[in-house]
Amino acid sequence: MSPPRIPRLPRRAWLQSVAAAWLPAAPLRAAPDDDDRIAPDRPLRFPRDHGAHPGAGTEWWYATGWLWAEGDAARTPTHGFQLTFFRSRTGLATADAQPGRFVPRQLLFGHAALTDLAVRTHRHAQRIDRWSGDEAQPEAHARRADTAVQLGAWSLRRDAQPNGASRYTAALPAPEAGLDLRLTLDSTQPVLLQGQAGHSRKGPLVAQASHYYSQPQLAVRAQVKAGGQARTLAGTGWLDHEWSDAYLAPEAVGWDWIGINLADGGALMAFVLRRRDGSALWAGGSHRPAGGAVRSFAPDEVQFTAGRTWLSPDTGARYPVQWTIRTPAGVHSLTALLDAQELDSRQSTGAVYWEGLAELRDGAGARVGLGYLEMTGRVAPLKMG
Amino acid sequence: MWRHLLPLTLAEWRHHPWRHAAALLAVALGVALASSVQMINASALSEFAQAVRAVNGQPDVVLTAEQRAGFDDALMARVAMDAAVTLASPVLELDSTARRDAPGAAGSAALGSDLTAGGATTLNPNAPPGQARPAGDGASDAQALPTAPASAAVQVEPASQPNKASPPPAPARSTASSPAVATADRTPVRVVGVDALKVFRVAPALMPRPDSPGTPASGDSPPADGAASARPAGGVAGLLADDAAYLNPAALARLGLAPGDALWLQSAGGWQRLRVAGRVSAGGGPLVVMDIAAVQSRFGLLGRLTRLDVQLVAGTPPGAWSAALGLPAGVRAAAPDEAVARISNLSRAYRVNLGVLALVALLVGGFLVYSVVSLSVAQRTPQLALLGVLGLAAADRRRWVLAEAAVVGLVGSAAGLAAGAALAALALRLLGGDLGGGYFPGVAPALVWPVLPLAACGVLGTVASVAGAWWPARQAQALSPAQALKGLGQAAPPRAPVWPGLALLVTGGALALAPPIGGLPLAAYAAVALLLAGGVSLVPAVVALLVRAPTRRAQALAGDAVVGRTDNRPATPGQRAALLLPLAIGRARFARQTAAATVAGVVASLALSVAITVMVASFRAAVADWLGAVLPADLYLRTAPSTGAADQAVLPADLPAAAAQMPGVLRVSPSRQVALTFSPEQPAITLIARPLGDEPARNLPLLGEALPAVPGTLGVWVSEPAAAIHGWQVGDTLVLPLVREGSTAALPTPARVRGVWRDYARQFGAVAIDLADYQRLTGDSRLNDLALWLAPGTAPATVVAALRQRAGPSVPLDSATTSELRKLSLQIFDRSFAVTVYLQAVAIGVGLVGVAASLSAQVLARRKEFGLLAHLGFTRAQVMRLMALETAAWLGAGVVVGLALGLAMAVVLVDVVNPQSFHWTMPLHLPLPRLGALAAAVLAAGTATALWAARRAAGRSAVLAVKEDW
Repeated sequence: MSPPRIPRLPRRAWLQSVAAAWLPAAPLRAAPDDDDRIAPDRPLRFPRDHGAHPGAGTEWWYATGWLWAEGDAARTPTHGFQLTFFRSRTGLATADAQPGRFVPRQLLFGHAALTDLAVRTHRHAQRIDRWSGDEAQPEAHARRADTAVQLGAWSLRRDAQPNGASRYTAALPAPEAGLDLRLTLDSTQPVLLQGQAGHSRKGPLVAQASHYYSQPQLAVRAQVKAGGQARTLAGTGWLDHEWSDAYLAPEAVGWDWIGINLADGGALMAFVLRRRDGSALWAGGSHRPAGGAVRSFAPDEVQFTAGRTWLSPDTGARYPVQWTIRTPAGVHSLTALLDAQELDSRQSTGAVYWEGLAELRDGAGARVGLGYLEMTGRVAPLKMG
Repeated sequence: MWRHLLPLTLAEWRHHPWRHAAALLAVALGVALASSVQMINASALSEFAQAVRAVNGQPDVVLTAEQRAGFDDALMARVAMDAAVTLASPVLELDSTARRDAPGAAGSAALGSDLTAGGATTLNPNAPPGQARPAGDGASDAQALPTAPASAAVQVEPASQPNKASPPPAPARSTASSPAVATADRTPVRVVGVDALKVFRVAPALMPRPDSPGTPASGDSPPADGAASARPAGGVAGLLADDAAYLNPAALARLGLAPGDALWLQSAGGWQRLRVAGRVSAGGGPLVVMDIAAVQSRFGLLGRLTRLDVQLVAGTPPGAWSAALGLPAGVRAAAPDEAVARISNLSRAYRVNLGVLALVALLVGGFLVYSVVSLSVAQRTPQLALLGVLGLAAADRRRWVLAEAAVVGLVGSAAGLAAGAALAALALRLLGGDLGGGYFPGVAPALVWPVLPLAACGVLGTVASVAGAWWPARQAQALSPAQALKGLGQAAPPRAPVWPGLALLVTGGALALAPPIGGLPLAAYAAVALLLAGGVSLVPAVVALLVRAPTRRAQALAGDAVVGRTDNRPATPGQRAALLLPLAIGRARFARQTAAATVAGVVASLALSVAITVMVASFRAAVADWLGAVLPADLYLRTAPSTGAADQAVLPADLPAAAAQMPGVLRVSPSRQVALTFSPEQPAITLIARPLGDEPARNLPLLGEALPAVPGTLGVWVSEPAAAIHGWQVGDTLVLPLVREGSTAALPTPARVRGVWRDYARQFGAVAIDLADYQRLTGDSRLNDLALWLAPGTAPATVVAALRQRAGPSVPLDSATTSELRKLSLQIFDRSFAVTVYLQAVAIGVGLVGVAASLSAQVLARRKEFGLLAHLGFTRAQVMRLMALETAAWLGAGVVVGLALGLAMAVVLVDVVNPQSFHWTMPLHLPLPRLGALAAAVLAAGTATALWAARRAAGRSAVLAVKEDW
């Protein structure tokens, strides 16, 4: 008897698995609303593209960051946070206008995690629900007009600020995990379009792409409850919004990704898609210096070299927790601030991956940035069942 | 002291092993019956509770619909967004029927034959169990009677319906419309719509488990390498697919399906084709799990839920939470084990009645102990006297006898518990958890050991044994050692006074008038026990009374014979023969205290048999009458085997009119049934809507007068159980919790009770309403059943065939003629009471063992007397005949007492126990030929037993006894 496998994957894994395994490709290709289609010639428009694209196969809003005690002038990180809202088109009930609250046209997933660097613990919680696509449905929706995702008591909402700035408000109460995250994230920089003006290639085929933009260097205020202790914290965050129809080459087994807020106000993103033998199938990334223009990386410009590894006592998986990352922005070393930031949800979801706070150092060993590292597909090739 | 007495006791037991074994056996039998009933019931309840829990899961709060129409699923939004909620799992349940073939493919089942294919009621833990079968108590209930008074086909729902043949291998299934499969026409199923994304966290047993596409389901298709690439909708999309059905083992077995097969479910909008995509592990009756959205859309239930299972943040008090939430009308927070409690209540009367029946068997055992110990004490009088002279105190003699009885009781109880366990295991295997009562359909229980009740059974067995020895022990205490040693005190034990017996009878009679205790006729059962005890203790008095007249004649006869003997010639054989009768009668009268001991077991068992026979016969006669009244038409058609499934199985709207136009059809009466919940603690009531017209008495078996209609006031007629349970009387106004068709809006409707009608089919009540009134009030124009009156000479089969054709293949119709229904109903009735016949036979058997044991004891005790008779020239045959005559006199008195007692107990059962347990009444009906046969059989078997025992005991010793004495 295998436990029921409810998919809840780190966002990268979705690119390779969701479309491949879950979603019949044909109706997706045929059906998407023109506005939701993934194409190089489809420019991103805001605030519309802050909102959902239900015609696209998968979509996520993903925010990470680190926090320090409010008033701490040294801004010493005490916590790392990660929150993700996924939306996935099921391909079910697409043809008819069948009414009903429970019609499973879309699935919504939520994921919250908090790393406590002082006591070196890692808490996480999950939510899942179906959504009929009706934006007026109170308990589950992902609205098109602007970021507004609701999943039971969990929500992420964007409110437009003067001169195009953003304020995100997130509430992720998870009392069953002793966790309660309530955050506001204010943009301090313009939206960063990844890839070619927000069209980001994910594989050798043109169709293997997503629309992708980031909001780096967010100013965060957080009400965090963990293990019964409530704290008010400040911090710096990073938000990604990405949607895609395409699926990746079947030979990809996993994915390593970083999103780093540089200390100088810059933003560095890089990813590598691995084959089963560990070789790179595709890679990409970008660098935007503070106040400067985005420099997008070609696949052959990005190189991840694994260093020290950590053996997960729970799953037996081996994760590199130190990396040497070579990009056009330079050669950096990346070190996880806590080794044990693995999420083992095989009992409920089947997915095992590592996602956690890490620091970036330059060749001289000085910390030049903080951000999140994500590693997937190191227990078994990610597959949905 | 006990150390010295023990060898004496052992010697006694060694000397008379069979006699004491009989007493032990009687105790063991009573304990075995009582304990097996307890174990069977505990097992069935536990299994049922497990099945319910598996299906219900372990939510903190269950928000449940008050009526089966469900509630608005908008509640989901409020609950899901509540900060204290960690999970809200929506559920939509309904009853339907399933088939494996396309509708019409195998729809030509023979007339009436498909009625028997309606399977057991499905597990229905939360929805109002309108279709939960009222069912039979071994003592006082019928099971499976016609479902609707005037319109219904029989609800044949045998509890232990054998499963259809296990799924045939895949190749055989390709010929799906072969005759072998066609009989598996329709199976009632419970359809449960769940959200697979959530349900596994509260109710893992309902979690769909897809058969992985790569694995061949039945192992007979070769694993294809290309299979992986032809990926069917697997994963989440497969779980949530609109046509995916996940079946539990019972459904797979009963329908003969395997994953990958097609499955058809009946819905009000037509037959729905589904795909068996996998399994669910839930036990119990046939269950089909689907995606909640699919159930909503395919069964016309958009926007509705019947249940919302909620998990709360640890530490949140569920009661306070649901109160703060403010539930809308029609929704309530249910207690977690409500369904288990309800099913426990449902079968409570049945359970208690069976248990009490077993205790009466124990009572018979007690009387047998009385017989055996009495004789044993009488026989051991010299021994007791000697011990008395040697210094054994009188009180110790009493304690000794009691201790012996206690040992017999203990050993008997232990043996009885063991036998009870074996019996329970066997019965569970053969009959199912309710001994055929129909309360636990689809449940195949494993044996459980309810420790306290079993201990109580063991204690009761010992207590019965000790109580049986009480009077003999008093005798042992009272005897005067000196007198007894001289042989003087032996013959005449102190005569028991008559008043205790009379007092017992009077108390019993008074108790029979007492009201029920906690809804159970406990006082009435105590009355039965007291009547029995009183009756048996009055046997000596009755013997005296009965033989008074014959005694005078016998004394005269004996006098003649003796007076004639003036010379010293030995009496002629003829004279001796003439002496036999007076001797026997005189002896019977003189030794009438012994008579009580000898026939106590027979009296008790005969009384028990008579009571049960009369009660069953009364019930059967009442049911037969009632069937005549509720089945006035010639032919009945229905769409669904249960009230629950009736919502999804409706007649084409124009069928009644079309039927009325058919040749040979005189009159047509359609009806509609819905389950209504009046109170959450009580099982649902069936609302039967059908044309009642101006003369309801013509259409309903009314009890008493019906009130005339009052213009502008809605009139309804309530069944006898409904009236008793809810306290409704003629003229009262009740509020019908109707639901407006097509919505979940409650429609409380006041209605005046115009009359009460007799109903044996629905133990939890029914309300009859005129169809036109019902349709006007609710807008529900669906119909389930059709009653047809045919012109003389019209073949029902022709009409049924025409109607089937008219209705089309998508509406399967079950049909039955009135005579078929009557026959079927009474057959089921008889089958459900068959167990009581066996019980009677066993009880009488035990009683006869008692007769045999005490007579062989007497033969030994009376050796001197027989020796004297032999000395006087009586032949051995004549002595034997004397014995037989004596015994016949006692047995005759026993039979008279047994009959009278049995009739009194029958009156209590019919007029007190039934109304109190099951809320229905019936007229007393005496099956005189059967009672006569019963009495004659007991008399004949008793005398034959006596002769056999006496011959066996006397054969060896009569001559020796004379020698020994002289």
